[in-house]
Amino acid sequence: MANYYDIDDVLAEEEILPVVFQQAADCFGLLDSSDDTNEVEAGAKAELPFWLARDLHVRGVVAVDVPPYFRKVSRTRKEIEADAAHVDLRGRCQYFYELGLKIAPLVGDKTIGPFLLVAFQTRYKEVLVRAHTAASAVAPKHLTLLTNEEAKLYEAGQLSTAAFKKWRMGGPRLQRAPVLGRKRKPIE
Amino acid sequence: MASQADAHAATFSAAELEFLAEDELIEIVPNMRMDPLNLICGDFGPFRPQIATQVPVWLAVALKRRGKCTIRPPDWMSVEKLTQVLEAERDAEKFQPLPFHYVEISRLLFDHARDDIPDIYMVRSLIEDIKDVRFHKIGTGLEIISRERTYALRLKNLSAMEANIVRPFVTRALQTFYKLNSPDMIQESDSVSNRQPQTANRGPRRQLKDR
Repeated sequence: MANYYDIDDVLAEEEILPVVFQQAADCFGLLDSSDDTNEVEAGAKAELPFWLARDLHVRGVVAVDVPPYFRKVSRTRKEIEADAAHVDLRGRCQYFYELGLKIAPLVGDKTIGPFLLVAFQTRYKEVLVRAHTAASAVAPKHLTLLTNEEAKLYEAGQLSTAAFKKWRMGGPRLQRAPVLGRKRKPIE
Repeated sequence: MASQADAHAATFSAAELEFLAEDELIEIVPNMRMDPLNLICGDFGPFRPQIATQVPVWLAVALKRRGKCTIRPPDWMSVEKLTQVLEAERDAEKFQPLPFHYVEISRLLFDHARDDIPDIYMVRSLIEDIKDVRFHKIGTGLEIISRERTYALRLKNLSAMEANIVRPFVTRALQTFYKLNSPDMIQESDSVSNRQPQTANRGPRRQLKDR
């Protein structure tokens, strides 16, 4: 279930999913922009954020459809199979893995799990190499391809390597607290 | 660093590790006469001119700064020893045993006691080389996490600094793999092993280098 205190978990549930209404529903007009009435007919398609779609799905009001990048036959899957490391997953869904983990049990698609794993396995190597070698200025192009999870991983590696390099270079061991230099302004 | 990052809560900063390393013992040759020091961490001294004695690194550095002693570099910091280690490190897959704080101690001695180390340029570049070789090994070794199901890594002979640098990265990667690898998500591959008792399901522990 959702982790209440994890901001990424909350944001991941904001992702928009395509759904199909199974029942006619009143007062849902604003979700379906295709007509002016305040009703949604059965069979109408709409796009809802995950947190809403999940609850409605559990109650049988809507059927959740997987977003295009999780479909069994999709360009994303083919691209991942070909060369996962250079697929722009951030552009598709910033919370690719988190959302995938949440959707898979909902729609009962057992291929999503292995698919996510394979994608991460391949991309992990790329992140591993870059995080511990590249200077921070070189990599931004690669960074734009990473999902939230991967970017954090990259950052973790990068930060600790940079901190170590800084320590080895030396420099002043004792740092002046930024508060100290300030002088109080005379009140006029 | 340690206070700045919540995600890397368990990480030390390099300066903190250096602080910890200063508790290691090292041999000095004092040139002054002083009674033994009775400290909480132990008794050191007595200090007599030309009689070697063991003290913590922080004390050695403090005395050295005041010109009260010369520091004897530890055995492993000699050119022969380091050359051996470097060669072994290049040839073998496993990490060579080195002092847990070798990165920090060598840096402290290079900074404060450069006149006490014979062949300092050689020693310094050897240590740099050893460090680079080991880091490269760590990098290639970490690829193993992605190849097989991994729950824990055994870091034998890894030094404090090396472990500390990879810690945030490795813990995060292991976490993510654990989430993606959970039996709920990956069913078909181990529908058999699911019926086995829980302990059998935890998978083998990986060595960072186990080929």
